[in-house]
Amino acid sequence: MRTTNMTRIAATAAVVALAAAGCGSKSTPAASSSTSSTGSTSSTSSSSSSSGSASNANFLACMVTDTGGIDDRSFNASAWKGMQDAQSDGKATVKYLQSTTENDYVPNITQLEGQNCKLIVTVGGLMADATDSQAAAKPGQNFAIVDNSSADTKTNKPIPNVHGLEFNTAQGAFLAGYLAAASSKSGVVATWGGQNIPPVTIYMDGFWEGVQYYNTAKSKSVKVLGWDETNPGSGTFANSFTDTNKGKSITDGFINQGADIIFPVAGGAGRGATASAKAGKAKVIWVDTDGCVSDNEDCSVFLASVTKGIETSVKKIVEDAAAGNYKGGTQDVLDLSNGGTDLVYGQQLGSSIPSALQSEITALKAQITSGAIKIKSPSQPK
Amino acid sequence: MAVATIAAAPTAIAGGTEADTRRYTAGATQIIMGLVMLLGFGLGTRTAHGASTTFGMTLVSKQGTHVPDWVFPARPVIVALAVVVVLLGAARLAVQLPRRWRLIGTSVVLFCFTFAFMAWSAADPKGGERLILPSVLDSMVIAAVPLVLGALGGVVGERSGVVNVAIEGQLLFGGFMTALVGTATHSLWIGVIAGVLAGALMGLLLAVLAIRYLIEQVVLGVVLNLLALGVTGFLFKSLMQTNQNSYNNLTPFTTVRIPGLASIWVIGPVAFDQPLIVYIAVFLVMLVHLGLFHTRWGLRTRAVGEHPAAADTVGVKVLRLRYRNVMLGGAFAGLGGAWLVGNVGNFTENMTNGKGFIALAAVIFGRWSPFGALAAAALFGFTDALASQTSSLQLPIPSDLLTTLPYVATLFAVAGLIGRVRAPAADGKPYIKG
Repeated sequence: MRTTNMTRIAATAAVVALAAAGCGSKSTPAASSSTSSTGSTSSTSSSSSSSGSASNANFLACMVTDTGGIDDRSFNASAWKGMQDAQSDGKATVKYLQSTTENDYVPNITQLEGQNCKLIVTVGGLMADATDSQAAAKPGQNFAIVDNSSADTKTNKPIPNVHGLEFNTAQGAFLAGYLAAASSKSGVVATWGGQNIPPVTIYMDGFWEGVQYYNTAKSKSVKVLGWDETNPGSGTFANSFTDTNKGKSITDGFINQGADIIFPVAGGAGRGATASAKAGKAKVIWVDTDGCVSDNEDCSVFLASVTKGIETSVKKIVEDAAAGNYKGGTQDVLDLSNGGTDLVYGQQLGSSIPSALQSEITALKAQITSGAIKIKSPSQPK
Repeated sequence: MAVATIAAAPTAIAGGTEADTRRYTAGATQIIMGLVMLLGFGLGTRTAHGASTTFGMTLVSKQGTHVPDWVFPARPVIVALAVVVVLLGAARLAVQLPRRWRLIGTSVVLFCFTFAFMAWSAADPKGGERLILPSVLDSMVIAAVPLVLGALGGVVGERSGVVNVAIEGQLLFGGFMTALVGTATHSLWIGVIAGVLAGALMGLLLAVLAIRYLIEQVVLGVVLNLLALGVTGFLFKSLMQTNQNSYNNLTPFTTVRIPGLASIWVIGPVAFDQPLIVYIAVFLVMLVHLGLFHTRWGLRTRAVGEHPAAADTVGVKVLRLRYRNVMLGGAFAGLGGAWLVGNVGNFTENMTNGKGFIALAAVIFGRWSPFGALAAAALFGFTDALASQTSSLQLPIPSDLLTTLPYVATLFAVAGLIGRVRAPAADGKPYIKG
């Protein structure tokens, strides 16, 4: 009696716990209307937009998020915002499915295939395998993937019904490195990452090269702590994208070594750097999004942000596909020249950047776009 | 390690006793460590060409007087330390030393090895690379606080016979409530109190399910961790992420500078210019130590943890004491969670990142004692800080390998200094009367 009772309660507790664990990010088929707590949703719900005037509003574009979900303040949120923008332009009707774990990728894609989605957008390089195998299995279904090429991950041959979107963020980070080197009073700047993986180190490479370029151009010797492109096995990493305390401790360490500009490439853990910088000894350059928009309360420490143009490019591919210009089997490499990445100055600290330096950076931008300056980072899209 | 064991094995069989085996293993290991120091650190390329080691001594992030850098020639110092270690290893191998001398010897070896590693990492012929010693120590203190508070939570529970695997969940839930209540009331300290209560509530949940409903305690702890991760993650996304300013925006702790003591050379700013909770954590370690070993409550707690039936026969209310202790433990862990949030000023999903499990390990490595837990937490904090601060010195060690340093060091310390540990006899066993 006792045992059965106990077992029952244990089982109940486990079920409750697992259900609760799941409800944080359960893969729920959600129409756009039921969600969108991103705060930036000016768009209408799927039901109301279907009454829109544009002829292509019946073009159904669907998105599968990575495990971060549409509220991650990062690439999933940006991609979903791009989808919603396409909808508010009256070009498409959009919906998404959220992946709780990596095991949800394939079931989510399959579920959307059964819902007459004209285009399925998958978000993140981690979803490449799932996208490629599903695309190969269903040649009539069009896909687009954010942060990956259209080439099959195994055979490296382009898949005709996958359109890739890749971002050369090393270019934006290069400008950030130049800005950091020119703005540092101590002659020491620092960068650290969440993990030693290409989507992170591409930023660190660009930053490092930007500092080196400044040193050569101005005959200075500004030092970069935490990363050296020529020694990619080494470098400083928090080994987490969530551990803000670790991020703060790494940043404090860099400040003690004299760094006064910090470039954290670590998602949420990067907020440890802003916490540390708030003591007034350093400034931060943010990544992926404009820090002063996504993390407004810390705007006072953001010198600048290196942005990644997921939002506009996702909007564009959805609208292009709706207009019949789907470009499967190819990829768009987005960089400084077409809004794929950029350096935006902080809303508060931006005015402290001398105009001479700002125009140098504008000139650099043109030189990178024209190819006069070549960025060497091996993590760049080919 | 493995080499040492194999080399020592045949002699051990010939020699006989277990003490001999341990002696050979330890001695051989220490000699190998000395050789690594000599060949890897002392005579390697990094220390060639008369390279000197520079240790920075000033903590820029804290106020205080400027202390000049400590510069010394790298190679001679490291070689000397290596020779000391090899000699100590040889002595250990040759004679059966009394326990006290063995421990002193092992401690000196570990110190020399660590110092040689630091001297090697900060060696540079051009004198450009520096390791800031007080920065490593400061980082250690900050990292050790949640570990030691979590471990205290484990100690009081397990000493009375309830295994607490849910430290991670208690840290997380405590941190979440600190951020939520602290932001709502515009007071970090009210938030801290809420965090402590939240931890105690998690403790109560653990106690009810473990003591009243007799659920297997390790499984229960794992489930509670998942529960805390899921609930805080869900509320973080639905509440905090969309409205940081109303629910998740605190002014972080400020440091409390103790006049006089904070001016001590190098150590002062590290030990006596820290947020209040750092002092509270150290105070709690002493308090729990006194409580466990010098009060009636402590005697009863230990009795209940070792032999609950005997304690019951002399009139100790076993279950009531267990309830209280597990809740108290949860409150300690909740304070640890409050620290994690108060240190950075906001809550993030899964911000504990496994710290609760390191705290659990500190309970065991610390032999279920408060000071043991403190030492284990400090060791872990130190090696973690060392790994992260040497990672920017362009060492020929891959960063992925370097981050395993805290775990490797903990293994060595346990093997060399601690040896066998014994849990309270009734740990994890529910008490059913009659």
